[in-house]
Amino acid sequence: MMSSNVAVIPSLNAPDITTYGSRDEGQVISYRDALLWTMREALRKHDSVMIVGQGVDDHKGIFGSTVGLVQEFGADRVMDTPLAEEGMTGVAIGAALNGLYPIQTHIRADFSLLAMNQIINLAAKYKYMFGGRYDVPMLIRMIVGRSWGQGAQHSQSLQSLFAHIPGLKVVMPSSSQTILETYPAVIEAYRGPVISFEHRLMYDLQFHVDASWIGTTRDPFGSRLVRQGKDATIVATSIMVLEAMRAAGHLEKVAGIQCEVIDLHCVSHPDWDLVMHSVEKTGRLVVADTSWREYGVCAEVCRVVAERNPGCLQKPVVTLGMQPAPCPTAKCLEDLFYPDLRKFVDALATLVIGNPGHGVSLPDTQSMADVYKRFKGPF
Amino acid sequence: MTDAQRFRELFYQALRIRLVEERIIALYPSDVIQSPVHLSIGQEAVAVGACQELEKTDLIFCTYRSHAFYLAKGGNLKEMFAELYGKVTGCARGKAGSMHLTAPEVGLMGSSAVVASTIPHAVGAALAAKHLGKDQVVMAVFGDGATEEGVYHESLNFAVLHRLPVLFLCENNGLAVHSSQSARQRYAILEHARSYGLSAQHIADGYDLENVADTISGLVRRVRQIREPVFVEIRTYRYKEHVGPGEDFHCGYRQREEWWSWKQRDPLEQHPDLRDMMQPSIIKEIDEAVEFARASPFPPEEELLRDVV
Ligand SMILES: Cc1ncc(C[n+]2csc(CCOP(=O)(O)OP(=O)(O)O)c2C)c(N)n1
Ligand SMILES: [Mg+2]
Repeated sequence: MMSSNVAVIPSLNAPDITTYGSRDEGQVISYRDALLWTMREALRKHDSVMIVGQGVDDHKGIFGSTVGLVQEFGADRVMDTPLAEEGMTGVAIGAALNGLYPIQTHIRADFSLLAMNQIINLAAKYKYMFGGRYDVPMLIRMIVGRSWGQGAQHSQSLQSLFAHIPGLKVVMPSSSQTILETYPAVIEAYRGPVISFEHRLMYDLQFHVDASWIGTTRDPFGSRLVRQGKDATIVATSIMVLEAMRAAGHLEKVAGIQCEVIDLHCVSHPDWDLVMHSVEKTGRLVVADTSWREYGVCAEVCRVVAERNPGCLQKPVVTLGMQPAPCPTAKCLEDLFYPDLRKFVDALATLVIGNPGHGVSLPDTQSMADVYKRFKGPF
Repeated sequence: MTDAQRFRELFYQALRIRLVEERIIALYPSDVIQSPVHLSIGQEAVAVGACQELEKTDLIFCTYRSHAFYLAKGGNLKEMFAELYGKVTGCARGKAGSMHLTAPEVGLMGSSAVVASTIPHAVGAALAAKHLGKDQVVMAVFGDGATEEGVYHESLNFAVLHRLPVLFLCENNGLAVHSSQSARQRYAILEHARSYGLSAQHIADGYDLENVADTISGLVRRVRQIREPVFVEIRTYRYKEHVGPGEDFHCGYRQREEWWSWKQRDPLEQHPDLRDMMQPSIIKEIDEAVEFARASPFPPEEELLRDVV
């Protein structure tokens, strides 16, 4: 199970990343291996599970998350597909309607745009439009390709397009633990279409996990309180949860500022009570998402706070996300395009202390990619 | 069953579909049906023929033009009218209307209003059948226009690649809305299908009740036996406007003469004696279904957010 890849343990920088993992137990597993483990378990446990996607059976196996499975379970269950995103999504829907549980992969979330018709017009509609008479149990794994010059068409984080649509559940696992808590439970018991955005930059990361997760009743779609604090609430998604933990760790160390961090996890159906409870406690809110802020998770969190209890905010909300442009490839521009740790810490310190000249020292590291990634391509 | 008995059976089913749709036309001005209707009048023989050899456990995936297939596959008439009326007793609790009829209890799966979008579902259902060892035949029903969509190509390719038990049934009425086939296509549907290695058959006269039924039944048996995809294209003719209850020969995109020449061969016009004999009991059945729909309640408010996920 253990990966021989670079062991960058984010908890070195963010001591509390393993809030629900026990570091003493010492079990460490990479995001990639957590994925591979859940895929293998799904195939092993359920005869109805089939993994379908371009390259799921090749030697690279979706960045290692399906590698070796075709040898173990055969090409009928770990199925390479033609380059036909819409058609294959339709095939997966038809298969789900007739007794299978398809797990479909898109090696870049960008490619799922060719399957929008099937996902939005069909998968999301089948149950409701036909009066509840059908279920479409399936998991669509999409990888956010951010990293190393992937550019405008290989790096997009498209969760808000899907989360906008009633009938879909959209999750964004932020750690090995959330993968282990989410995928097996969803595959076992949830009967609708689920879209999961996995983040490429996390594949190589090692996470502490709590082995006792097996068989727990934790809601696979629940949002998670991953750090407690009284001064500000950070609502984050995917890899921004790690970034939030790093920022929070830094601020605690250098300025004694205590940030609460919520991993939204299921961006289509977040636990709004958890979010509101925290914002009402801290009075300050930062939303950090992996995508554009406009009409996305950032906008949605603001909508809900504005509707439920705007008076609880002591300060205007701060949002962090990608700059409103397609993603550039030049490293210097890419670094500006994504919010980095310095900006994150600066924004938090300004918010909590109340003015831009807060005097809190900023961390040396800038880009999240610099810290998390040893990878130098090519894919 | 003798040939005469068989003909009467096919005739009865086709007449029932026609009378149901004629009732829809009669009801339409009263606005009890508040949903677009795509009528199959003129095309009944295709749906009837397609379903003769199918079992309830065999699956069909259709389009927005699916009244005929719904009835031919055995869908409940009362639930159909209730659905058109937007009643909670409808086949989809009043959330589907005419374009999304469904009857999973008899294998009439989802009908979609997005052209070509259920073709891959039939292929996927066939993949599941193969994988799970089910003895099903799955049928994908679509129009000539649907063959222009990319997903159609993707679906044929995958079905042949994996040798899946699907019957692709192209109901060719020569029109997509108001556009003729020649204005849209630079390929021949049959030749194109064959280029995938599909065995593909053409039925030139979609008004020949017995030949349509015999041919498609033979193909269904074949798919069941060899468990590979097969293709059939049936030439037929739509009498009414693309959507709605009226006629539109005055609009200039097609000629009334064309309709007239098809009508000369319309089986339901050829046998007034049979029609007179069968009509009363069908009308009674329709009356009861319409009354059921009328008397049924509309969906209560809690239905609005029920079954979303
Ligand atoms: C993807 C898509 N494009 C366009 C339309 C609008 N539209 C509805 S029916 C239709 C014609 C389809 O023709 P055909 O497949 O031959 O079926 P027919 O209506 O003749 O039965 C079109 C273009 C649609 N519903 N879906
Ligand atoms: Mg047509």
